[in-house]
Amino acid sequence: MKKLLALFLVLAMAFSLVACAAPAAEEAPAAEAAPAEEAAPAEEGKVYKVAMICDSSISDGGWGMSCYNAMIDAAAKRGWETAYSDSIDQSAYFDTIDSYCSLGYDLIYAPGNQYTDAVLQAAEEYPEISFALLNGGADTPAKAVNGNVTSLLPNATQIGWIAGALAGLMTETGVVAFIGGMELDTTKGKYEGFKEAAAYTAEQAGKTATTLDIVYSNSFSASDKGIEFAKAMIDQGADVFFGDASAVDSGARQAIDEYNASKGEVVVYDIAQPGDLLGQNECIICSQVTDNSSLVALAMESVENGILGGDVIYGSMENGALYAGAISDLVPADVQAKYLEYIDQMIAGTFMK
Amino acid sequence: MEFVTNLILASVRMATPLIFLSLAELYSQRAGLVHIGLEGLAAIGSLTGFLVSHITGSPIVGVCAGAMAAILVNMIYAYATVTLCAEQIVYGMAINIFAPALASFIYRVYFGAGSELVQVPLMTNLSALLGINADSFIAKLFLEQTLMVYLAYGLVIFTAIYFSKTKSGLNYKAVGEYPRAAATLGINVIGVKYIASIICGALAGIGGAYLTTCYTTTYVDGNVAGRGFIALAAVIFGRWSAGGVLLACLFFGFCDALQIRLQVASFNVPYQFFQMIPYVATVVVLAIIGMKKAGPKSCGKPYRKEER
Repeated sequence: MKKLLALFLVLAMAFSLVACAAPAAEEAPAAEAAPAEEAAPAEEGKVYKVAMICDSSISDGGWGMSCYNAMIDAAAKRGWETAYSDSIDQSAYFDTIDSYCSLGYDLIYAPGNQYTDAVLQAAEEYPEISFALLNGGADTPAKAVNGNVTSLLPNATQIGWIAGALAGLMTETGVVAFIGGMELDTTKGKYEGFKEAAAYTAEQAGKTATTLDIVYSNSFSASDKGIEFAKAMIDQGADVFFGDASAVDSGARQAIDEYNASKGEVVVYDIAQPGDLLGQNECIICSQVTDNSSLVALAMESVENGILGGDVIYGSMENGALYAGAISDLVPADVQAKYLEYIDQMIAGTFMK
Repeated sequence: MEFVTNLILASVRMATPLIFLSLAELYSQRAGLVHIGLEGLAAIGSLTGFLVSHITGSPIVGVCAGAMAAILVNMIYAYATVTLCAEQIVYGMAINIFAPALASFIYRVYFGAGSELVQVPLMTNLSALLGINADSFIAKLFLEQTLMVYLAYGLVIFTAIYFSKTKSGLNYKAVGEYPRAAATLGINVIGVKYIASIICGALAGIGGAYLTTCYTTTYVDGNVAGRGFIALAAVIFGRWSAGGVLLACLFFGFCDALQIRLQVASFNVPYQFFQMIPYVATVVVLAIIGMKKAGPKSCGKPYRKEER
């Protein structure tokens, strides 16, 4: 009897887990469905399905949130069904992708360079399914033996420029900071862009801006680490922050807001990414926005046209995929004007030349 | 000097949730129940604390709710391991898998699949409650803390006295050492084990709720971030005593705070070097203090009344 009860308890927990972990399929909201000409798939009557995997939470107020919204927006435009699995461990990347492939999803959307190996492995096993890797390498599609992987590649250096230019203009202490989640090529690219743009715009304004060495939380969900990093960096004199660490950035903003509250005024600022997060925290003065939805929509269009991959879809300031979001009133009008001038130079390709 | 004072303040912040979780493990193991499911209990406590704090606007109510939720989840473990005499490690692991998934599920059900960042106000510091301006290091250390920090240190003192100076505490420890001998003295072994599970659940839930009501304003899946396992190590590290556990937690908190501060302060040193510090320090200290078994003797063993 006791053994039976123990077995029952284990089964109850196992069923609960299955219920919790099952992919959450969502139909695109009818009200947001795209116009008929956009929604018409190449295969008559077929409803296409896209699934996103993510190691951070979709409600992290940063990267995960923005990437999820990009998929939802793109799916709504093209009439696709969506599903997602978030907060998954590195060890579960492949298994999660594999389960969506087994369920017949047409497109697997993996927003991050860290999924490259799992995506390439799955792409080899499922040649009929398309895979879109946001921040994938330029050479990743060529590595897919079945040619069914697409890299969606926002220009990391330009992302860094957009934040760095404003950081250089706004810093009073001459020290700015960048918090990384994991040591990824894209994160390093953003850091380098941020560093050079901050130094350049500060110099043009007759001051200096030194960027503290990049730090890594080794996690995208440890918001407490973000708090501790931000406190330590403020102690080092940093007064403008940028980051690429999802929920860790949210923790950093909390620490900055607390510091500003203790000073009675906003003296330390944060530049958010990759969505327009102005207003989420008092310290946010601007956001670097990546229109990931347009990139995901292009990947969806390729699938509808029977092209499963092989391309690199670039996102840049020139094609409108990268831009600066709304600017806070905390940024003086003359600084705003100068910053927008730099943004125009970036679009024109003349920045720092 | 400022580096040192800020490091100490950061160590206290980072050690507090560990103290709650380690005490939870200590109470469980002292009654003979090895509980490796603290991570799961803290996860459900963290979510419940956040959710109730969000609904009621009161972090204290959130902490109480977090404790209650973790007690409820821990009753699964208690029933399986105490009444059914099931394997404690297996059920601890099951709690670790089940509870975080349940927390994630509840979050999605309540807040929907939307992606808006939900934030709640944190518990007020004592200095703010008293209207004191804590500018100096000493004032910051002793006054600029939430009530939960004082509760954590108060519980350490209480636990140390309870286990060494009170008859009830000695009876409690006897259950973890020689349950059959304790039973012959009229101690209700099963009852003590259930009480231990209630205390363990409550403290682990409070530890989890601390993260979302006193530390960060948001709830993110995985925010317990291995603290349940560090707490398990802290109990062994602290040789199953309240004082030892406190020192172990402060040590782990200090090492983590140190690696963060060194990453920020030092130039041209690979960050991996600093991230190794907590782990290297643990290995070194364990090697120094030795691995001699000092835990309760019936720890992990099921207690069957009728067994000879």
